[in-house]
Amino acid sequence: MIGSPNPRAEEAPPASAWYPFLRWVAKALAATLVRLEVQGLGNVPGSGPFFLIANHQSVLDPILVQGACARPVHSFTKSSQFSSGRFVQWLLLRVNAIPVRRYRVDPQAVRTALRVLARDGAVGIYPEGERSWDGTLQPLRRGTVRLILKAGVPVVPCGVDGSFGAWPRWSRRPCRVRVRVRFGRPLRFNRHETRAEREAALDSALAQISTVLARLSGQDVPAPDSRSSGAARRR
Amino acid sequence: MNGKGDQAWCGSCGIRIARRRGRLFVSNTRHEEEHETNAAKLACDIDLHDGFGSNSFRPAASFVHSARALVAWRDAQRAIWYKGVLRGFAETMAPETPGTVAARRDVLCIETAAAGSGEWRYLDLRALQASSSCLHLSLPGDRLVQLRFATDSPRRWEEMLRALVRDAYRRAGQGAVLEFQPRIEAVGPSPPGRS
Repeated sequence: MIGSPNPRAEEAPPASAWYPFLRWVAKALAATLVRLEVQGLGNVPGSGPFFLIANHQSVLDPILVQGACARPVHSFTKSSQFSSGRFVQWLLLRVNAIPVRRYRVDPQAVRTALRVLARDGAVGIYPEGERSWDGTLQPLRRGTVRLILKAGVPVVPCGVDGSFGAWPRWSRRPCRVRVRVRFGRPLRFNRHETRAEREAALDSALAQISTVLARLSGQDVPAPDSRSSGAARRR
Repeated sequence: MNGKGDQAWCGSCGIRIARRRGRLFVSNTRHEEEHETNAAKLACDIDLHDGFGSNSFRPAASFVHSARALVAWRDAQRAIWYKGVLRGFAETMAPETPGTVAARRDVLCIETAAAGSGEWRYLDLRALQASSSCLHLSLPGDRLVQLRFATDSPRRWEEMLRALVRDAYRRAGQGAVLEFQPRIEAVGPSPPGRS
C-alpha cells in the first residue's frame, strides 16, 4: 500500500466533525474518573500551528489532555491501537489520532504531522514514547525533538501529575484521585532546515523540553540512557 | 512473588504490596508493619536486586534467562485512511503461538512450534520496547515480533534485554546506547569496518 496512487494521500488530514462531541465525552469521563484540576489553559495558542507535548503516566492522559485543550489536537498514537478492533479504529480516527509505528522510524507519521501543522493545526505527542511504568518522567525520544526542530512551530508543554496514581499501566482498575494538568508557556525553537543543524541543536532542545515537562509534572529531570558526547550513530 | 489484582505477596518472607486509593503500601504480615511507598522506589529496588536496571550490569558468560511466551510475528502492514486521505500505517500480527524465549549473554533465542524460530545477536536488534503487556522487537529484514509472557513481566524483560544490548555494544566497542526506540541509537567510537 505504500506509494498509493491516490492523490489524496498527499493532503492534510481532514477535520473530524465528531471531535467536539467526543471532546465533551472526554471531559465528562475525566470528571467521573478523576478529580481534575486544569491550569494554564491561556497558554494554548488561540490560532496557528503548535505542538502539544505531554508526559505520559496513564492510559487516561489523552482523555485528560485533549479534553482540557480547547483546540483540536491530532495526537500520535501507537499503530497497534489501530488493530484493536473496528470500533477502536473508528474512534481513534474521529479523535484525530495519527498512527505511528514505534518499532521503526515512521516517515508517514512525520509527513502527516507536518501537513497538520501546515494547515495551522495542533499536533500532540507524548515524547517519552510509552507510558511510564513507575510514574516518573522517562528520557524523551530524540526523534520527537528532531521533528520539533524541523517544524519550528511553538511547543506547548503540558505536565500531567497524578494520573499514574489514578490508573497505572500495571493495574486493571482506575482510582478516583486528584490529577493536575498544567499547560506551560509555549517554547519557541527556530526552524532548522538541515539535518546537521537539527543534530547540533538536539541536545540543548531535549534538555530544555525535559526540564519544563519535569517542572510542570512535579518531577525530577530524567537521566538519559547515556550522555551524548557527539553526533549519535544510528543503525 | 504471587499476585492478584492490585496486590502482590511473597509466601516465604511475608512481604505484601498493595495499591489502595491510588497509593502503594508495603506491609510485612509477620511483623504487622505497614508503610507507604511509591512505584518508582519499588522499581528501583527491583532493578538493583536483579541488576538489570543499573549501568554496572555485566552478565557472566553463562548468563541465561528464559520464559514461556506467546509469540506473534507481523504478517502485514496496512494503510489507514480517513475520508479518503492517508493517515498512516499499522501492522497486523499473525496469530500467537506458544513458544520459549531465552536470553543468553550474546544472543536472543526464540523457539516456537510454528515458523519463525531462530536466534539473533543483540547487536543485530533494531528496536526494543514494551507495548501494553507485550514486548516488541524489531529484527533484521524489517521483521517485528511480539512476545507476550505467560508467567513473567514484560518490564523485567525489557530492562534485561536493554542491559544485554548495552553490554553487547560496550563489548563490541560500539559505544553507549542512547535509546531503544524507534531504533537502537548509540553514540561512541565506530567499530572497525563500519562508518
